Amino acid sequence: MAERYDAIVVGGGHNGLVTAAYLARAGMRVCVLERRDVLGGAAVTEEIVPGFRFSVASYVVSLLRPEIVRELELPRHGLEILPLDGTFTPLDGDYLWRLNDHSRTVRELRRWSLSDAEAYDEYGIAMAQMARFVKPILSAVPPDQGRIDPRQWLPLRTLAGSFAELPRRLKDAFIQLMTMSAADFLDQWFETDPLKATMSASGIIGTFQGVRSPGTAYVLLHHYMGEIDGAFRAWGIPRGGTGGVSLAIASAARALGAEIRTGAEVARIDVSGGRATGVTLASGETLEAGAVLSSADPRVTFTGLLEDGVLDPEFTADLARYKFRGSSGKVNLALDGLPDFTCLPGRGEHLRGAISFSPSVDYMERAYDDAKYGRFSARPYVDMIIPTLVDPAMAPPGKHVMSCFVQYAPYHLAGGAQWDDAARERFGDTVIDTIAERAPNIRDLIVGRQVLTPLDIETRIGLTEGNIFQGELSLEQLFFNRPVPGWARFRTPVEGLWICGSGAHPGGGLMGAPGRIAALELLRERGRRKGVRARL
Amino acid sequence: MPDYDVIVAGGGHNGLVCAAYLAQAGRRVAVLERRAAAGGLVEVFTTAGRLQRAVVDDLDLHAHGLELLRPDVRMVSLREDGPALTFWADADRTAEGLQAVSAADADGYPRFDAHVRELAGFVAEVQASIPPRLDKAAIGDAAAGLRLARAYRRLGARAARELTRVLPMAVADLVGEWFADDGIRGAIAARGTQFTAMGPWSAGTALVLVSDSAGNDGGAAGQTAFARGGPDALGQALVRAARAAGADVRTGAEVARVITRDDRAEGVELASGEQITALAVACAVDPKTVLVRWVDPVVAGPRLRWRAGNIRTSGATARVDLGLSELPAFAGVDPEALQGRIVLASGLDAVEQAFDAWKYGEMSDRPYLEATIPTLLHGGEDGHRMTVIAQWVPYAADPGDVGKRVVAALERVSPGFAQLVTSTDVLTPAGIEREYGVSGGHLYHAEPALDQFYAWRPVIGLARHRLGIRGLYLAGAGAHPGGGITGGPGRNAAREILRDLRRAG
Repeated sequence: MAERYDAIVVGGGHNGLVTAAYLARAGMRVCVLERRDVLGGAAVTEEIVPGFRFSVASYVVSLLRPEIVRELELPRHGLEILPLDGTFTPLDGDYLWRLNDHSRTVRELRRWSLSDAEAYDEYGIAMAQMARFVKPILSAVPPDQGRIDPRQWLPLRTLAGSFAELPRRLKDAFIQLMTMSAADFLDQWFETDPLKATMSASGIIGTFQGVRSPGTAYVLLHHYMGEIDGAFRAWGIPRGGTGGVSLAIASAARALGAEIRTGAEVARIDVSGGRATGVTLASGETLEAGAVLSSADPRVTFTGLLEDGVLDPEFTADLARYKFRGSSGKVNLALDGLPDFTCLPGRGEHLRGAISFSPSVDYMERAYDDAKYGRFSARPYVDMIIPTLVDPAMAPPGKHVMSCFVQYAPYHLAGGAQWDDAARERFGDTVIDTIAERAPNIRDLIVGRQVLTPLDIETRIGLTEGNIFQGELSLEQLFFNRPVPGWARFRTPVEGLWICGSGAHPGGGLMGAPGRIAALELLRERGRRKGVRARL
Repeated sequence: MPDYDVIVAGGGHNGLVCAAYLAQAGRRVAVLERRAAAGGLVEVFTTAGRLQRAVVDDLDLHAHGLELLRPDVRMVSLREDGPALTFWADADRTAEGLQAVSAADADGYPRFDAHVRELAGFVAEVQASIPPRLDKAAIGDAAAGLRLARAYRRLGARAARELTRVLPMAVADLVGEWFADDGIRGAIAARGTQFTAMGPWSAGTALVLVSDSAGNDGGAAGQTAFARGGPDALGQALVRAARAAGADVRTGAEVARVITRDDRAEGVELASGEQITALAVACAVDPKTVLVRWVDPVVAGPRLRWRAGNIRTSGATARVDLGLSELPAFAGVDPEALQGRIVLASGLDAVEQAFDAWKYGEMSDRPYLEATIPTLLHGGEDGHRMTVIAQWVPYAADPGDVGKRVVAALERVSPGFAQLVTSTDVLTPAGIEREYGVSGGHLYHAEPALDQFYAWRPVIGLARHRLGIRGLYLAGAGAHPGGGITGGPGRNAAREILRDLRRAG
């Protein structure tokens, strides 16, 4: 006798958990099914080296939607974001250090360029205004551009209206942010090479693009989205690692009545008469539901969990064109002490922020060039955090963990090469070599190391081709084209089957936004949308 | 009383087209061209396939000596290690020829060609109209908007969705969806990067490809047409048409600045000091030249000058003219296939690598080249000439080095080629800037990228031919619909100027 629910959520990553929480909050009987024994998907904390806890994949939080934090009362469920201060770019014999404190940063920039120091504040203000303008898009349901249905386009009309009212210079900025390369955009404001390189690096995170590729300027906004969501610090690391975010959401979901099962791998989404009726687990167990929401990425959802023949060939062909293109890897280190940078020796404040290996725009671009031709970067971009400096509990006393996000590492390697153990080790060694150029003591400190290649990200976490955003955030795959034109409203060709992960608008970045909007859309469709409920 | 109703500053093809339309409407027009002969960049571009049919017909260019020759072949792609790929005007004929390379790709080609035509049809509608205002809607915009909306609806839901998906794409991704063979991909995709500072993996190049085929029957392989007598003949036909309509065309007249009074353009001053007055000044030169050099900084204001100074104008194209003692031999290539564009773009990575080198200030050993030998089509008395458009060439590259690399690249696909070269003339982007006065040596006046497109080309607020100063207009490629020898900007500008002149009474 199959267990019956109002809704089943496939995947216990942060978006799936958000979806479950909102549906449960509205009184639905919800069950989350997570394949692994740990919750969180890519927002997960694991003790890879005994005594050392790693934010295995995702390692910072900056975009978690404040409405989610508020509506699910996440701080009550253990969410605590510890501030990270600044970005430190080590160079050969010098460094560039930007802090959250704007005036300190401006003073530092004066060392490099007076005009850059002046421009920095103006830039920050303009970007914050841009972020404010763009924010409503993050919670919108994209219209279907193949139909002129006023109800779908109306929300955009408001946006068009506020665009028309923007001052000219912000209109410029918006168009440019949507279309330019990060490097070109920053070229208009700044001249200091390591500054432009470091700032533009945030434009290529998780993409198979270079800092000079058109379309990467958009992602620059993300930093400022976080800044304006001032309910808590702009960006930081969750206490307990990014797994802490997922566990807080899971706790909220359970408190609202959702059931969460781990070690429960969904093998198939059951469809009958063109309608999703539930799921069947790998164990053979069947669960029935009025609705199934998948937080797995579109390829896993549609080609992995549905039987052949359920989807029509046109949709399948369109879906095949949705690009994944993993481009990143992760190196997590257990350390016996702290790295010592020759350009700024000692255990200083600069270690408490992000450490960015991005010395010049050419360096960033060459790192990308390697990937285009099927090689991991000979000298990669590395974004490093040492969370133990703000959250000492992640490692034994006096010891540290270090998270290194690396680009580029293409999923497809040239000449038929595979991401086997040897390739993984070479990749890891390259990252260590890169760090050692600026902090030579790093090798002596390493007591444990975990290297995740794009293939590892795919097999461990279930992200196709290791793309951390469940699909490239390129212009033609955003908004009403995400994941497939005509199917960008969280619904799928299968009645009762929804998508609620980053493969839907507004994409990835540990926002929780897709999970929330999908839930609210389903509730709206069912006519059961309720306001905020106070709950124990 | 001003000397003229309209001064057209810059006698390139768009300026001449603009002047001809204005004169046909009864306006007193003068074209002022710095060089000894008008025509501008027409003589740098090797083909005239994109010239808008409406322009040819409205200005009766055939009667003024223009004869366009369209060979059956559009282009042939030559490779060091693989057979030549020939693309004909007839898609089915092309498909037949591609069977030997890849049957699946060959079978898909006619459908891809039809797909490009469908998208290009809509883009042509967009090119024929001026962009809407982005600050407030106006009744005038409604009519244009309605036409576009109807064209959009005519596409049908599926094609409409495809449009919004395809146009922001990288051309490499577009051809990747249709073709598996790298040679076929490279040959088709390259055109999406020509005359730009972008590579095939850059977003926005699919739009460049489709725009290049808009309104000219180009399809997947692009249009190929030559003016009999060479590009000069097109320039001359345009001059005759402008004069026949009643416009004065003055050469050797260098505009040095725009005269403004009370924040209104009242005419121009030449380098010689001569001042010429008019009700309106239509600038057919690039927008950076107008707003940063020609307009009084006080009138323009620091904000406009900053924005204009930031218009992206990095030219990356060189033109190499080669005198040849005899026709080169291309093994295994049907001689008829040489009558169109001869392309060296052997694959997507190969083209991207040529672009990579330029990013770091260098020129690749294997540049992306497009060569033409128009004398093959209409005969020439004094040996053969081959003109090569080369991408991507650094601004101040050494012309001798550029010439050597181009000849060496051609030698690789035609052993013995180097021996046939009797003369080499190279125009680098710096040379183009010097010779033709266009900022950065950019043949399209401003990069045709997504951030300088349509309603924000060249910048927001100045995208409807009006340059923010009363009486001052942009009529050249820096305005929508952009660069290439189309006549589109000149024609659209004339329409707007006439509208404003009528309103002013």
